[in-house]
Amino acid sequence: MSPTYAATPRGARGRSLALTGLLGPATVFLAAVLLVALCILLVNSAYHFTGTQVQPTLTFEAYRHFFTDPFYAGVVWQEIRLAVTTTAICLVVGYPTAYAITKIRRPGWVIAAYILIFSPLLTSSIVRAYGWLVVLARGGLVNWALLRLHLVAAPVRLLFDVTGVTVALVHVLLPFTVFPILSVLLRTDPALREAAADLGATRLQGFFRITWPLSFPGLYAAAQLTFVLAMNAYVTPQLLGGGRVQVLPLLIYENISDLDWPLAAVEATVLIVLVWATMLGSNLLFRRRLATLEDRR
Amino acid sequence: MGPGRQGQDVAASFLSHVSTGRPREASALPAVELEHVHKWYGSIHAVRGISLRILQNEFFSLLGPSGCGKTTVLRMISGFETPTEGTVYLKGEVANAIPPYRRDTNLIFQHLALFPHLDVYDNIAFGLRLRRLPRPEIARKVRAALELVDLVGYDTRRIHQLSGGQKQRIAIARALVNEPAVLLLDEPLGALDLRLRIQMQVELKEIQHRVGTTFVYVTHDQTEAMTMSDRIAVMNHGFVEQIGTSRDVYERPRTRFVATFLGDSNLLEAQVESSNADQTVLRAGAARLIGPADAGATPGSSVTLCVRPERLRFAGAGTASGGDDGNRLDARVRDAIFKGAVIEYRLVTESGARLILQAHADAARPVEPGAAVTVTWRKEDGVLLTE
Ligand SMILES: Nc1ncnc2c1ncn2[C@@H]1O[C@H](COP(=O)(O)OP(=O)(O)O)[C@@H](O)[C@H]1O
Ligand SMILES: [Mg+2]
Repeated sequence: MSPTYAATPRGARGRSLALTGLLGPATVFLAAVLLVALCILLVNSAYHFTGTQVQPTLTFEAYRHFFTDPFYAGVVWQEIRLAVTTTAICLVVGYPTAYAITKIRRPGWVIAAYILIFSPLLTSSIVRAYGWLVVLARGGLVNWALLRLHLVAAPVRLLFDVTGVTVALVHVLLPFTVFPILSVLLRTDPALREAAADLGATRLQGFFRITWPLSFPGLYAAAQLTFVLAMNAYVTPQLLGGGRVQVLPLLIYENISDLDWPLAAVEATVLIVLVWATMLGSNLLFRRRLATLEDRR
Repeated sequence: MGPGRQGQDVAASFLSHVSTGRPREASALPAVELEHVHKWYGSIHAVRGISLRILQNEFFSLLGPSGCGKTTVLRMISGFETPTEGTVYLKGEVANAIPPYRRDTNLIFQHLALFPHLDVYDNIAFGLRLRRLPRPEIARKVRAALELVDLVGYDTRRIHQLSGGQKQRIAIARALVNEPAVLLLDEPLGALDLRLRIQMQVELKEIQHRVGTTFVYVTHDQTEAMTMSDRIAVMNHGFVEQIGTSRDVYERPRTRFVATFLGDSNLLEAQVESSNADQTVLRAGAARLIGPADAGATPGSSVTLCVRPERLRFAGAGTASGGDDGNRLDARVRDAIFKGAVIEYRLVTESGARLILQAHADAARPVEPGAAVTVTWRKEDGVLLTE
């Protein structure tokens, strides 16, 4: 064998090898953790709980309990409503915000806007929740203002209620809504809007015929991300719901504390299935629309 | 394939839409007029007092190096920028404050700016739909526009499925389908390879002939400008240095910049000795040169004499000296470059000045590098540059 030919040619094979090397560890780690955790979850969900401990006998009674007791249906329904409302508000607030940021001319103001939008992520969730406690309490800022302006006769309940949780969730999740929209808007060639104007489009027409359809993938990604995060939120409903806002993550934690692993596992499975079903369902629904936008430029 | 395939029918069908209500003969009103127009971007003085008139149905080019303000001028005509000072007129009306969407102009952007989420048909129909034309009319006009650019049957193609040249044509169709009074083109062929660029130059010129619309064409390529234009405005540093036909600006450049930007030229520094209605007598070092008559040449002043390389000839021993008006420079051949139709000789004179001489490649006896030669030219082939 001649040593001259020992070196492997740097072709597609070399590239894919390099890719495997780079992506391998992360993939293995994520897959292992996810798969192992899912398996443990599924096995546990089928076990028997005596009231004090878990017995490794296959029963499925936790499933029966979950799907027959209307309490759980109520929790799931409340959670979906909460996540959908939060996502909707985030989109309605987030889109104009992202759009406005793209229109800021001064670099200094752009940075200020970024800091403002991303500030919730720079604060611990506990601190943030207590902040909202102060603002939303019976004697808090909002009620004080409402009373002073004579908009209400008596303090309204904002805290320990869905309203408060929704407001606080919107606050935390807004960065996750704004960011995907913003990045798509920034990637859109400004000359396209000029071309539209040149062809006779007013600002409004240009927005609805060019910017809006082109930003759809960003809007879509933002909606998915926000929805998933809202579905899985724990701290905010825990601290601001005051026990009145029941969602699956809260129940899971409670059941684990009570050592009822099977029921917690069933709830976790339901949560995972709900989130994945939503993602896949919406992907199917918008597949064609997204495909036409994928190969832009 | 050129758009000529479908012949006159296409032109006729397109013209029947385009020409209605618009006289083809150049009328007295200029299509576009700029009067002392300035544009400042903050502290950048991008356009420095430009005045020009672009006639109806004219193919007018703005030619100049990158950064000289061509795009800015085009954007002021299309309404995307407002002049800081001065006035833009469209068909005689002050247009400074008219927004782009209400102007009877269409711009072909430097990078085309085709809409990626729409197919070819929807791209071309974009402007017509905004004008709320009836569907059948839109369909007819889009079809005529596709015929004009020779892309019939491409209606449902998506933009990313088109080649560079096809995108170019769709951009032209998308603009022309609106029958603008003025079509503005910002270096539209810049992204194409040389072959395609030359082919598109010819096609664009043909299209302009057929639709009879005013074209304002921006380019930094002097050959392109000369190939296509009725008139050229040569720009530099935010100024217009000269306006004229291709021949004018090439053969009668008024400034050093114009002389050097449009092709090669031999520039000889000289002093005016005397001047009369026939000729100007110049002295360049030891040599006495004869230039054309020039009112601006006062005795004693410094001028630059410009002679194009193809106007220089070798004064061989056998050549009669008649017709050279006494212009003679001794030089040595440094290099002879074969360029196909011509041979380009690089010469250096006794005083050290460098000259370029172009001769037909079929000339009886090529001159070898190193040879001592005498160069001559007629007095009317020289141009006096005072700036
Ligand atoms: N929007 C703008 N803001 C600031 N400066 C600009 C802007 N547009 C153009 N300029 C400047 O104005 C000058 C002319 O630019 P432009 O008209 O684009 O030149 P050209 O099209 O001839 O290359 C350049 O110096 C350029 O940097
Ligand atoms: Mg430019």
